[in-house]
This record gives sequence, C-alpha cells and structure tokens, in this order.
Amino acid sequence: MQKTVWAALLALSMGFGWAAGDTLTIAQGVDATTLDPVNHQETPTGNVTANIFDNFYRRLPDGSYQPWLGTAKAIDNLTWELTVKPGIRFHNGEELTAEVIKFNFDRLLNPKKPLKYSTYFKPIDRVEVTGKYTLRVHTKKPFPLFLTRLTYFWVVPKKYIEEKGADYFANHPVGTGPYKFVKWIKDQEIDLVANENYWAGKPKVKRVVFRPIPEASSRVAELLTGGVDIITNLAPEAVPTVNGSGVAEARSVPSIRNIFIVLDVKGKGPLHDPRVRLALNYAVDKEAIVKHVLGGFGVPVGCPLNPYIFGYDKALCQPFPYDPERAKKLLAEAGYPNGFTFTMSAPSGRYLNDRQVAEAIVGQLRKIGVKVDLRIKEWSTYVKQILNRKLDTDAWLIGWGNAQFDADNTLFTLLYGGTVEGGPPQSKFSYWRDPAFDRYVLQAQQIVDQKKRKELYRKALERVRQGAPWIFLHQQKDIYGVAKRVKWQPRPDELLWAFDMAIAK
Amino acid sequence: MIAFLARRLLLVGVVAWGAATLAFLLLYLSGDPVDLLLPLDASPEARAELRHAYGFDDPLYVQYGRYLWKLVHGDFGVSLRSQEPALGLVLSRMPATLKLAGAGLLFALVLGIPAGVLAALKKGGATELWVMTLALLGQSIPVYFLGLVLIMVFGLKLHWLPISGYGGWRHLVMPTVTVGTFVTASIARLTRNGVLQELRSDYVRTARAKGLAERVVVYKHALRNAAIPVVTIVGLQLGTLLSGAVITETIFAWPGMGRFVLLAVEQGDFPVVQASVILFALLLAGVNLVVDLAYLWLDPRVRYA
Repeated sequence: MQKTVWAALLALSMGFGWAAGDTLTIAQGVDATTLDPVNHQETPTGNVTANIFDNFYRRLPDGSYQPWLGTAKAIDNLTWELTVKPGIRFHNGEELTAEVIKFNFDRLLNPKKPLKYSTYFKPIDRVEVTGKYTLRVHTKKPFPLFLTRLTYFWVVPKKYIEEKGADYFANHPVGTGPYKFVKWIKDQEIDLVANENYWAGKPKVKRVVFRPIPEASSRVAELLTGGVDIITNLAPEAVPTVNGSGVAEARSVPSIRNIFIVLDVKGKGPLHDPRVRLALNYAVDKEAIVKHVLGGFGVPVGCPLNPYIFGYDKALCQPFPYDPERAKKLLAEAGYPNGFTFTMSAPSGRYLNDRQVAEAIVGQLRKIGVKVDLRIKEWSTYVKQILNRKLDTDAWLIGWGNAQFDADNTLFTLLYGGTVEGGPPQSKFSYWRDPAFDRYVLQAQQIVDQKKRKELYRKALERVRQGAPWIFLHQQKDIYGVAKRVKWQPRPDELLWAFDMAIAK
Repeated sequence: MIAFLARRLLLVGVVAWGAATLAFLLLYLSGDPVDLLLPLDASPEARAELRHAYGFDDPLYVQYGRYLWKLVHGDFGVSLRSQEPALGLVLSRMPATLKLAGAGLLFALVLGIPAGVLAALKKGGATELWVMTLALLGQSIPVYFLGLVLIMVFGLKLHWLPISGYGGWRHLVMPTVTVGTFVTASIARLTRNGVLQELRSDYVRTARAKGLAERVVVYKHALRNAAIPVVTIVGLQLGTLLSGAVITETIFAWPGMGRFVLLAVEQGDFPVVQASVILFALLLAGVNLVVDLAYLWLDPRVRYA
C-alpha cells in the first residue's frame, strides 16, 4: 500500500513537479533594447526574444538549418511555397495561420516603418495567402538565401499587435516560443516562465531570468557565488579562476566569427603584389597566436569561411602553414628581399584580445623584415572609416560574423571587386579585384540550386587562396561561464536558448 | 529676493537652451548614427531609408529647428534603439540614481563632518593622524578599485552582501560606500581645515571669553562658519552624483542614469543622449540654486538682490 503511494507521488513529481531552485539566471553585459524580435541589432536582445518567439526555420548547432514553424520550398526561381505547421498557438491563444505569416512579412516590408530586420527580406515582392496554412512568397529576383533568412523570421502575433499596438507589444511580447513573458524591469531583469503547452515539448527549466551586468569581473563574481548560472563573454584570463572554483566552468564553442586582416587598401605598393600577400600569410604563426594570445580560444583558418558556413571547403580552408623561409623567398621574388614597411589599423576591445593579436602579428612579421606601423582605433571612428573607405592605413584588422551562415554574406559582401560589366559596383569592404572570382559569386546569386552554388563557391575559394587578399587568422571562440549544475552546450549562433538547457538535480 | 529668484530661473532657461544646442551640435559633428545602428553589411538603400526615416538627411538648420521646436513642446524624441520616448527612458533610471546619490551623500555627511570636527579638536594627536590618513586614502583610491575590493571581500569571500543588482538595503551598501568614500574624505578634510581656522578667529575667542560652553563654541559658531566651503563641495559632488556615478553603476549593475547614458553614447542613440544632457544641465542648475540659497542661510553677510 505504502509502496503504491510513493510510486504515485514519484510519478506525480515527475509528471508535473518542478524541483525547487528551478530558476536559471543568465547574465549578459547589457539589457535588451526592445522585445520585438525583428527590430533590434544586438545579440543580448535576440537571446531574450529567441526564448519567447519561434522562427520559421531554425539554426542547428552545426550551422545548418531545418524547418521549424513550417516548411518552405522553391516552386521556381522567383516563387516559394510556405506551409505552416497546423495547431500552433501564441501564448494568448491566437492561432498561427498563413494570414499571420503574411502579416509578419507585410510588417517587415512596410517601407514607411522599416524594422531592423527588414533589410534581410528586401528581395521579396509580395506575399499571397493560398489556404489556411499555405502561402506563396513572390520575389523580385532569385533569392537563394531565402531559407537561411527564414531563421531571422521570428513570428509575432497579428491580432495582438493590431489590438495593442507595436509599442505595447515591444514591452509585453507574446510569441509561440518555449517561454512566456512575465515582466521586464529595465536594466534590472527580464523574467520568463516555461510555456507548458509549447508545441515542441515542455521546457525543462521552469523560470528563466535575464540580468544585465556590464562589468566582466562582477559577472564572474556573481557566477562564483551562485547569483547567476550562465555568464556571457568570459575573458580568457578569467577562465582558470572559473574552472578552479568547483562550482562553475568555462564552456566554449567556435563561433561564426572569423578574424582577419584586409590588405592592399591603397591598391599600389608592396601589398598590391599577390606574392607579398601570400608571404604575409606564411609569416604569421596562427597556432602561436591562438595558443598564447587567445588562451586556446580560437581555431586557425585559411580562408574567409568556416565550417558552419554553406560553401566552406575543407581542403581550401586549411590554415597557411607557418613558414618564414617560404615567406622570405616569396618576398625576394616580388623584389623585396629586405622587407618593407606598411601601416595597419585595429580596434581594441571589440574582439577577443584584438589589440594583442595585432601586436603579436607586428612582432611576427618583423622576423621576415616587414615592419608594421600599428594604429589602434576607437570603434565608432573605425566603423565610419571602413564604411566610407576613408582608412588611412594599408591594412586593417576586423572580425566578421557571417550571420547568414552562407558564403554569399562573406565572399560577395566582403570581397566582390565590381569587375563584372553591368553588375553591382565593388563592395565597400573589398580592395581586391579578381574578374573570375567576381563572376562566380555573382552567378551563385542568380540560382537557387544549392549544389551548383556550392561548386561556384569552391571555385571562388580557389581564387581567394591564390590571390590572398587578406591575412587569414582564426575563427574566434565564444566563451561562457556556466554553473556546473546547468546542462547546456553553447551554440555557434550565440543564442542562449533555454529550451536547450536543463538543471541537474 | 524675488527678483533674484526670477533672474536665476530665467538663467536656468538659458542653461537648458545652451545645453540642448551643445548636445545637438556635438552629436551632429560626430556624424549620423545610422552606421552604428545597422549591421556593417546593410545595403546602402537600407541605410538611406533609415537616414530618411529619422530625418538625418535634412540640412543642419532644418534638423536643429525641428529639434528645438519639439523640445519646446516637451518632445525629446524617440530612442533610436528601443523606439520609446527618450525622456521617459532617462527619467525611469532616475529613482535608482537618486537613491544612490542620496545614500552616498548621507553616508558622507554622517561620517565626514564628525570626523573632520574630531580631527580639528584633537589636532596633533593620533586621532587626527588617523582621520587625515584615512581621508587621504579615501580621496586617492580609485572608485573602480574600491568597488572591486568590496566585491571581493564582502561578496565573494564573506558572502555578506549581494554582488550586483538593485533591491533592498543590502544591495545598497557596497555601491553607497563606493560612491560615498571620495565625498566623505573631501568633507572630512574641508571640515577639519574650516573648523581649525574658525577656532583661531576673533569671534571664537570672544565667545570663549563670554564663557560659552566649548560645545556651543564649536558646533554653533565655528562649525556653522566652517560649513560654507563644505556646502560648496557638497553641491559640486551632488551634481556629479545626480548625473549618475558611471563607474559605480557599471561595477554593481546599478540601473541608474549614468550607465544608461554611457551606453546611449556608445550606441549613438542621439535622442537619449540629448534628453539626458538637458536633464543633467537642469539638475546641476537646480543644485547650484539650492547651494546659493544655503549660503544665504549660513552666512548672514550674503545678500542676494
């Protein structure tokens, strides 16, 4: 008899109960700016909204994507058919239908009130509802990035926004996601509670709290005393402290962000010679930088892409080996046996130990006789110089997080030289003009067949390897401090998705 | 007196206009914020669209005129980041800042004035040496260092106080000590010097000669006169505290104005920066007015006409 009671209680506790202490607190550097999931540009905001909303396609930990709220398939080069999963409801009970999806597209495409994510959906012409759960998206030109962009398509409720207004919605969000919004006290905390009726399953963590703690050492102190469970942007220097604490540990994942140096800004001088640029790639010891400057939190890479990105090719992305002798030989061939001097810009505090990385490179290049005059720049000034092509140095260090996970967003955006007649002008980030490369990346924009696109990107990468427009450095790792009781592995897209998390009993 | 107040209030208006104009011009000079608002790879059309939506593509005088016109009507614009009214956003951070400024100042007064008087009375003794050494330390220790040391000792090691955040009195202790220490030290040193000077003056000798109790001589006569420079420094410090103790707020994740405005500057959120600059200017003008009125009360020789 007693046994049955215990068994029943056990079953009850497993079925419905949440153990005490089932709150997970996450500390980021800053607060969210809005809770409208498509009207912000910051990861910390996206981390909160990703728990409240669902996107139409979902990014997987390996960088690929899969259908989530529905499926999409290409009907022809200019038409996509979307099918919404039936039976999904928003937290307020509103049903997710094709009409709601159309409302979401229209909201993003409204030229009078552009949202921050509108730019991702520019090629769309119009959206037509064809059934309760089906609709068609017509594009102005072929839109091969449509599926990957659907991972940015966080779906908001139609009726709720029409009734309450966008401003109210941005502070009191209602989504279809695994967590329901409870309250937001600005600059203090955002509270979420599990949506027990979540269509993809019941979340394992009952409450999630996001707290902004701007000072890195305060975040670490909170983690070590159990005030918070997960902290973002853990500095490599703090890793031993966290790992030695016994209560928390550092967990990291290679991120989508590559760090590299753009060369030949002026289009003349030694850096204009591809042999010189290759020499620089051989003269930089990527392994040593990752090991000593980044504390191991990086992966050397020899091309503009990384394994998460569609179009990546393992053979063509092997890091250039560290070979100062070969570098010297190449320099001599190019007519600079005694080296030369060039100027380089780098930001400070934007990427993982960025300044120290730049300084290490200056030291390494000196060994082959190349002197670098390094100028550290304040970020907002730097961004303006880059965007307006007003850089006063021959080279510049930058990081690129390819948010589309597609080669187009790196190869076209950063390297397209504008040599194709009738094609778009040179990218504002590109200082390299290679006609064959330009043709490949433009062709890849005109077709939606992913196999053919991949082949075009392979050819484009071959050109990049030979032309060496950049010094290829490393793929940066994201480092988190995580309480040991939390079961969770960081994701490459930086999202803190609590549906992935659990608390060990 | 009324004429004085009227003139001062008029001046406050001029200060507000000056601050508004300065804030506008400085931000205009730093370039339009669209580059910082959109991702690096946003298309030129998207940039142009956003620029147009916010009116950054209009000539300077049109933007300035529109800005002033709106200000006069109490419209401080909408935050570029969160799309909410800028003034409301800044004001919502005010209570936390007021709380910390008030607590910091109270801490400084309660500790600093008695310490200063004590040092003056025990001149030449060990007490004075202690007070003055601590005051020197308090004035020279950097705020970020003090804050981190407090966190290490009372948060990390002893677990007595919460490390960061906003809530009950326990959250208030470490930030208060952090912002208050410098002010406490300044007040203690000024009070000591002032009281010492006054104790040597003729009227104190007269008071003592009259046979007044030493307590009355010190607290009623000397301290009151010594208070004038202290009031000046309190006024100045209060101005700083009210505009938000940026470093302290950052270390302790205190949801005040300083940290908020710093972030707005970094992110190029013009309307928020402008609203806060104007608000700070008004706050400072208000504090100055109160300080001037305090002189009036403290020193009968001061007359405003």
